[in-house]
Amino acid sequence: MATARSTPGGASRGRRAVWVGAAAFAVALVLWYVLTTLTGVIGSARFPSPPEVFAAFRQLALDGYADGRLHQHVLHSSKLVLMGFAAAVTAGVPLGLAMGWSRRVEAFVNPIFLTIRPVPPLAWIPLAIVWLGLGDAAKVMVIWFAAFVPSVINAYTGVRSIEPYLLEASRMLGVRGWSFVREVLLPAALPHIFTGLRLSLQASWTTLVAAELVGAALGLGKVLNASAQDIFPAMILIGMVFVGIAGGVMTCTLALVEARAAPWRQG
Amino acid sequence: MSNIVFDAVTRVFRRDGKDFPTLDGISLEVRDREFVAIVGPSGCGKTTCLRMAAGLEFPTSGRVSVGGKEVTEPGPDRAVVFQQFALFPWKTVWDNIDFGLRNKGVLEAERRRRVGDIITLMGLEGYESAFPHQLSGGMQQRVAIARAYVLDPDVLLMDEPFGALDAQTRTVMQEELVRLARKNPRTVLFITHAVEEAVYLSDRVVVMSRRPGTIREVIDVASVRQSENWDRLERIEEVMDQDSFVHLRTRIWKLLREQQAPNDH
Amino acid sequence: MATLTTRTTTSGLIALGLAGAVAFLALWTLLALSGVVQKQFLPTPLGVLQRFVELTQSPFVGHTLQQHLLSSLGRFGMGFGLAAVIGVSLGLAMGWFRWLDEIVTPFFDAVRFIAPIAWVPFAALWFGTGIGGPTLIIFAGAFPPALINAYRGAKFVDVRLLEAARMLGTPGWKIVTHVLLPASVPSIVAGLRISAGLGWQSLVGAELIVASSGIGYLMVKGQASISTATVMAGMVAIGLVGVLIDVILRRVEAGIHRRRGRGE
Repeated sequence: MATARSTPGGASRGRRAVWVGAAAFAVALVLWYVLTTLTGVIGSARFPSPPEVFAAFRQLALDGYADGRLHQHVLHSSKLVLMGFAAAVTAGVPLGLAMGWSRRVEAFVNPIFLTIRPVPPLAWIPLAIVWLGLGDAAKVMVIWFAAFVPSVINAYTGVRSIEPYLLEASRMLGVRGWSFVREVLLPAALPHIFTGLRLSLQASWTTLVAAELVGAALGLGKVLNASAQDIFPAMILIGMVFVGIAGGVMTCTLALVEARAAPWRQG
Repeated sequence: MSNIVFDAVTRVFRRDGKDFPTLDGISLEVRDREFVAIVGPSGCGKTTCLRMAAGLEFPTSGRVSVGGKEVTEPGPDRAVVFQQFALFPWKTVWDNIDFGLRNKGVLEAERRRRVGDIITLMGLEGYESAFPHQLSGGMQQRVAIARAYVLDPDVLLMDEPFGALDAQTRTVMQEELVRLARKNPRTVLFITHAVEEAVYLSDRVVVMSRRPGTIREVIDVASVRQSENWDRLERIEEVMDQDSFVHLRTRIWKLLREQQAPNDH
Repeated sequence: MATLTTRTTTSGLIALGLAGAVAFLALWTLLALSGVVQKQFLPTPLGVLQRFVELTQSPFVGHTLQQHLLSSLGRFGMGFGLAAVIGVSLGLAMGWFRWLDEIVTPFFDAVRFIAPIAWVPFAALWFGTGIGGPTLIIFAGAFPPALINAYRGAKFVDVRLLEAARMLGTPGWKIVTHVLLPASVPSIVAGLRISAGLGWQSLVGAELIVASSGIGYLMVKGQASISTATVMAGMVAIGLVGVLIDVILRRVEAGIHRRRGRGE
């Protein structure tokens, strides 16, 4: 109990844990096979069997489904997420920094920000559809709102949690203007900014999938939507798996960027 | 000439509509190239004195001036060494030391020379491209002292710089500071609550009273140091063994003990 | 440059805040009234407020706003309740029993990155669009933080507390009820607050797609009839309820911390 330092999804797990985990996975796979293909306890209208899932994967990857092949869906979704995310972050981080730095900016912006903040990202979807229709523009708008709020909040927190003595040291050293922003404020707030980016990215991804579920021409949400309408459980599962994989890859990429951007941080 | 003058300085904090006086009529001059230490019970406002000299806080009444100019803002002419080191974690040792010079607009070639010199002087060679978190506390404080010294400041303000270090490191740093100060004399205001440290390092020790802080007594160490020739002694424990040192230390101890309320410790 | 340390008076800040609010509302109103954007697409703030009041009085797609909210809250209660009960107990068990941790964690990691909303098709397929489907989606949103925080609470109990309990000769089961559980409470409550927030967000998504009543459904219907005011009134209602849930749970959290004699 004392030495245990692992968390769900945490880094270091013992060798025993790896074996137990692998064994559990194997048992689950066998159980899945037995319950579906072998005995049919779970009907394939409810949950797909392993061969069905593999077939669905082949179909999506090679022949295409819901107006596109796997890579087209993934690329389209990723492109929209990156666009909305980038637009939100370029607006949100500077605003958050300014609000953290100046109580006056904070006071002025807060009424607007506090109005937007409690609205869940997904609740922007109907408004985006009314304003911009079912196309890509509406999705970028929704993603923008989803990613904007966390990037503002965390950049703000980043500035507010800078150690006061670091600010005093920088004043003592005569740092001014742009150089202060670039060399003190930004790096000091960077850990929080990255927390915000991670939350923003996750919110962007969730929101996009939801928006695509409501209606889209292409994208993983479209795959989910089409397979739900076709009552095609194997394809639903494949859609979910790739929503997970794409989300995981994005989050990991961001973690790599963070490690490059902040080499001074220890573990 | 760069002296620090506190002229009838008072400081009052307002909280919940009530006034809390923290400093009451401090008048003191730290003369050019003099090393003055302030000791006093915690909360007596000694750190506030230093921060006012730095321009990080301001007196409620009275005047603080450095080199004849009233202090209105912080600046590299009054370099501060903070207790928490206050190094920028995202800058290497070299960049931390170089930062102030860069802000002053010193040319690159000169910067390189000065930073290089101070790194040698402080025994930081080989650590130029290390980040602060990779260094021990003692090494970090060396960097912080180097960062202050390299600016060639009029005055040096040190706020319990060794307070966060362990006993051994602290001793080494004290000896090094004496060496540095002798090679490179500066006007220094040094805040500490360690009496030995104050006596060992300074020319004069200012003993402050409990809040609201006033100057209880100013003790001349320099004359004793000279007459007893402490400077011939290499190590701190040898100095601390001298009867004259023990005598001064005990005197300051007694003054501080008188400041304490019966149930205060 | 001198900010963060310079003081602007409180009244000055309030004035700035008011100025910000007025500027925001004025700009919005002007844009709505100028005719640049059709009224149908951009109602004035007052128009949204009006619509909000209207919705509380006369039914829209079958129910008044309150009834929609009530049915949303019912689903939310189900999904969040299930996530809290299952998530917290599983999390605590994983914190106490290493073998369970080792079995569950890989699965948990495997599904961690699947957005809750991606459960929509299965939710509809398995449980329909009444209460079951949306409940599963809320559950998917609310479950992870409930589990993770309970797990952390149980796993990272101060070892000194356990040693003290053992030194005092406390029997095993009493260590669980008298040390482990109380020590995990702050972490559990913090997790539930995050959990509730995410659950409420997922609910909205679920109702946009698979529901035939509720506040999300109201917004979808507003969208279909191109009534921006209805959509915006729905957003306001969702935001308000979200804030309310958060405030209540923050109170609970603060109460627990206060009883334990820690600030904040």
